[in-house]
Amino acid sequence: MARTIFTRRPDSGLGNIRRSFADPTRTIDWILMSAVGALTVIGAFMIYSATRPRLLNRGADPYLFVQRQIIFVILAILVMIVVMWLDYVQLRGNAELLYAATIVLLVLVFVAGSVRGGARLSFDLGPFAVQPSEIGKVTTLLLLAGFLADDDSKTVRYERFIQSLFIIALPVVLVAIQPDLGSASVFVACAMGVLLVAGADIRYIILITSLAIVSVVAGVVSGLVKDYQLRRITGFLNQNSDSATLQSLVTQVRFAKRAVSTGGFFGKGYLNGPLTNGAFIPVQSTDFVFSAVGEQFGMVGAAVVLGLFGVVLWRIYRIARMSQDRLGYFLCAGVFTMILWQAFQNIGMTIGITPVSGVPLPFVSYGGSHTIAFAVMIGLVQSVHMRRFR
Amino acid sequence: MARERNISRLGVLGIVGCVLIGLLSVRVWFLQAIDAPGLEVKVREVRTRTIKINPERGRIFDRKGRIVADNERVLTLTIERAVIAKPLARQQMWNRLSGALNMTVTQLEDRWASKRYDQLQPLPLKEDISEDLAVYIRERSEDYPGVDVREEWRREYPFAPVASHVVGFLGAIPAGEKSENYYRTLGYDPDARVGQFGVEQTYESVLRGTPGYVKYEVDSRGRFLRQLERKEPIPGNDVQLTIDLEMQQFTEQALQQQIMMRRRTEAPTVLSFGEPDPRYPEVTYYKAPAGSSVLMNHDTGEVIAMASYPNFDNRWFNAGISSEKFGQLFPTTDDPDMSILVNRAISGRYNLGSTFKPFVAFAALNTGQLPGGTKYVLRDQGTYKLESIPEERCQLNVKCVFKNANCGNGAPCKYGRVNIETALAVSSDVFFYKIGEQIFTERGNRPVLEEQVRLFGFGSPTEIDLPYEYIGTVPSRALKQRLAASGAIAEEEGKGYYVGDNVQFAIGQGLLSASPLQLAVAYATFANGGKVLRPRVVKAIWAPGTPNGASNRVNLDEGLVIQDFGAPQVVRDLAIPPEILDPIVRGLTRVITGPGVRSDFYHATTGEKLFRSFPKRALPLAGKTGTAQGAGNLPWNDSSAFAAFSKNKKYPFTASTYIEKSGFGSRSAAPVVKCLFTALIGRIQVAPAVPSDPLDPNSFEVAQPQSLPNPLCLVGTGSSVRD
Repeated sequence: MARTIFTRRPDSGLGNIRRSFADPTRTIDWILMSAVGALTVIGAFMIYSATRPRLLNRGADPYLFVQRQIIFVILAILVMIVVMWLDYVQLRGNAELLYAATIVLLVLVFVAGSVRGGARLSFDLGPFAVQPSEIGKVTTLLLLAGFLADDDSKTVRYERFIQSLFIIALPVVLVAIQPDLGSASVFVACAMGVLLVAGADIRYIILITSLAIVSVVAGVVSGLVKDYQLRRITGFLNQNSDSATLQSLVTQVRFAKRAVSTGGFFGKGYLNGPLTNGAFIPVQSTDFVFSAVGEQFGMVGAAVVLGLFGVVLWRIYRIARMSQDRLGYFLCAGVFTMILWQAFQNIGMTIGITPVSGVPLPFVSYGGSHTIAFAVMIGLVQSVHMRRFR
Repeated sequence: MARERNISRLGVLGIVGCVLIGLLSVRVWFLQAIDAPGLEVKVREVRTRTIKINPERGRIFDRKGRIVADNERVLTLTIERAVIAKPLARQQMWNRLSGALNMTVTQLEDRWASKRYDQLQPLPLKEDISEDLAVYIRERSEDYPGVDVREEWRREYPFAPVASHVVGFLGAIPAGEKSENYYRTLGYDPDARVGQFGVEQTYESVLRGTPGYVKYEVDSRGRFLRQLERKEPIPGNDVQLTIDLEMQQFTEQALQQQIMMRRRTEAPTVLSFGEPDPRYPEVTYYKAPAGSSVLMNHDTGEVIAMASYPNFDNRWFNAGISSEKFGQLFPTTDDPDMSILVNRAISGRYNLGSTFKPFVAFAALNTGQLPGGTKYVLRDQGTYKLESIPEERCQLNVKCVFKNANCGNGAPCKYGRVNIETALAVSSDVFFYKIGEQIFTERGNRPVLEEQVRLFGFGSPTEIDLPYEYIGTVPSRALKQRLAASGAIAEEEGKGYYVGDNVQFAIGQGLLSASPLQLAVAYATFANGGKVLRPRVVKAIWAPGTPNGASNRVNLDEGLVIQDFGAPQVVRDLAIPPEILDPIVRGLTRVITGPGVRSDFYHATTGEKLFRSFPKRALPLAGKTGTAQGAGNLPWNDSSAFAAFSKNKKYPFTASTYIEKSGFGSRSAAPVVKCLFTALIGRIQVAPAVPSDPLDPNSFEVAQPQSLPNPLCLVGTGSSVRD
């Protein structure tokens, strides 16, 4: 495998002119890079402020989590550089293999995964946990994009549409029964985005979206969906509920909303957020990291974060348009949808417009798997960008 | 690779992206700009925790500074409710605590579920824990998150049961929406203990003090981050009683011992045609279930001693006993003889019998009812026939003939020629029957007698600073109607107010009722020349923290009086002229000293024999016995009353005693009063007031029995006449 990956060098076919204007290393999208970098730096600061009070309460080192996150980011940068270095077309050649490995991991997680909060989401590797669903996002996207790009047509034929649905359905089902409906929805959203751009019939997309909704409802009715997943939805629909079963969920969102709300224009100042410092918001460094931004930096901070996401999405959109081939085009569209959907869902639940789903905020939230997964995605996008003159 | 792409489709995706990001921005802006002000307040609320600091309750001491109600600092273990909100966390906490606290998990869970405790304040888990346990818990705060030790005060009554009816006790806020709302608006916690009886109740607002608080910033688990604000509580004011604890103890001892002695005394046998009546047992002991005694200063209105039996130990109310045990000690009963938590000196509703006659005498003289006033003489032949009722009606069903009490020989006493002074001295019913009839019939059936006796405070509250005072009743048309309406008397009977009613009224029977305190206040009016005083049990209110002095007292010299009630409060000044006052006082003096009258044989006055050995020269007294008829007019249902005042200006005291179902006034109640006056002039040893032994929680005695160290003062020959 290693041999095939490295057969086509990024600068191959350019004779011996080195560092030409087409040299991939010279055509990195630095604006995208800076925006992602800025979000990562903001994330590190937020993780510190959100985990500090809990760690101090425990008598632990307050920098524990931010240190880990920095290690994750360094790893992520390395992985990203490698992905950038590789040609995405080459990667497509290995997509089936990677996809198969992902499926194996997703199955394995049922057997060997550690249980947290009623779900088996990750492998426990000492201080770190590997979450295969995050890896799955990249590999599934790669396979789906590659599969759709194989057919050189402006539309997607019916059989190919169904086939691509199977590609996506396998990991979605495996993730959904972990259960992690939030991540499953990211898979679905990503697939929808790719299929849309690939030219699938809008009716198919509408049909399949309704099918997904029907299957979720069926899952709820049949009891396959775990109780707490259901509560997230009822809690979302009744945000002012006094019901005891919904209480922890409702107060969680209520405190997150209050934190964002009371930040005001400039915020309470870094490390001065009372709700953040009082550890009032559960899982603030991962799921509710945006509340830390809102409380400490107010509307300005929230606008900066949203703006940076806007910049990231704009650059990916731009790269998609510039891409030389359908594969790069689809990859960019997939990454675009994934980041968009995940950021919307995460920030949305913090401010009470989407149900609580436990998806992290890309680049900002604490967590190794998703940091690396999104680094890979950015790496792919950059790879597309770097090779746009091919 | 081909470049077949749907750029328009990508545009759709871009638009979706713009919409979603826009949606988030609008929502964030909305939250921060519109919702923020309201949420800011809520955030401040959840971030701070205010813990109330209860003030030390004011102490109560007697007129000489003996501390009768004190406070002991106790430690209470509490837990933050947030920490144990989840059932699993609660179960684990109970398991960890139950060993350390020596409580079962069920007990702890019951506390948690109980609505008695303020839901917003930390839950008290155990009161009065040891210092060691407090240190143990505090050192292991990691194992017991949210558990804290709070300092509180527990009420102590060092001299209990002495004066417990006056001092009162603390209890939970009485159930019922009204009282709960009342205490809540005053800022009490639902589990607060408030004054429920005696001075603890009437002076609750003075004794309570002002609570302080500490405000902390807390985190989501209720752990304290830092202290924001602290306001120290202001202790309650101290209260000084007019009660002299030694005299109080003596009074209680005398009363209790006399009641015990009467319970071992046989009541006279009921005779029927000279033989013991077969309907009744041959030997009946007096039941003497209850009694009360009041000693007051008739110049100032200060109550020096106020005893009520059955008494109780007010420490039972904070002994932490179970409700079953409490029910055994203080049974709920419909039998008025049995009730313990009643201060009979102020709540007793009694016929006064002949002790009421001086007020009728006053009415007669004051209204000029007697021709010639004090010179008026009546021939007392032992019976009185109503003059205003026609003979034929007497033949039918109207009671026209009223008799004097029997004179030993089975016939009504005949006192011969009596004037008002003699009539009081020998307690001639006939004389007062006549007044009772004529003051009514000769003045157009107007309630003259009622108006006159009301001047002495009968039928209206004395306004003593104690709760549950009985107002009393004075017979009148309105009273009869009211009683008939409430079913207390027959409807037929309530139709009108008749001569017969007024005749009964004139000798203190019938529908007249008063408390022993009212009797004392009324006698004090004669003693001080006509001033109806408002009686008081509180002498002064002192600034908080009167320092301790020697031997269980406060140091009165170093305290600060805030409010002094020392000045007498005159409700009404009758300014009784000497020509009215003197014959009455002379008559009352003869009750104590004699002589009686000679008619056929010598009729001694009712108190003459009893007070024979009393040092009358040192302490000249004036008083009157009374025997109130009870159910069926049976001898063992006679209740005994006596009231007397000192004529020596150095000892301005008036006393009254009432003992239920215990026989003649001179035999049961009068010896108690005699003891009180003997003690006042120091002719008998008064036991020093010493703190009592700790309350034994396993005991079944409501109060430790008390008895006189020297009961000789109770001894004396009573009169053989039922008056």
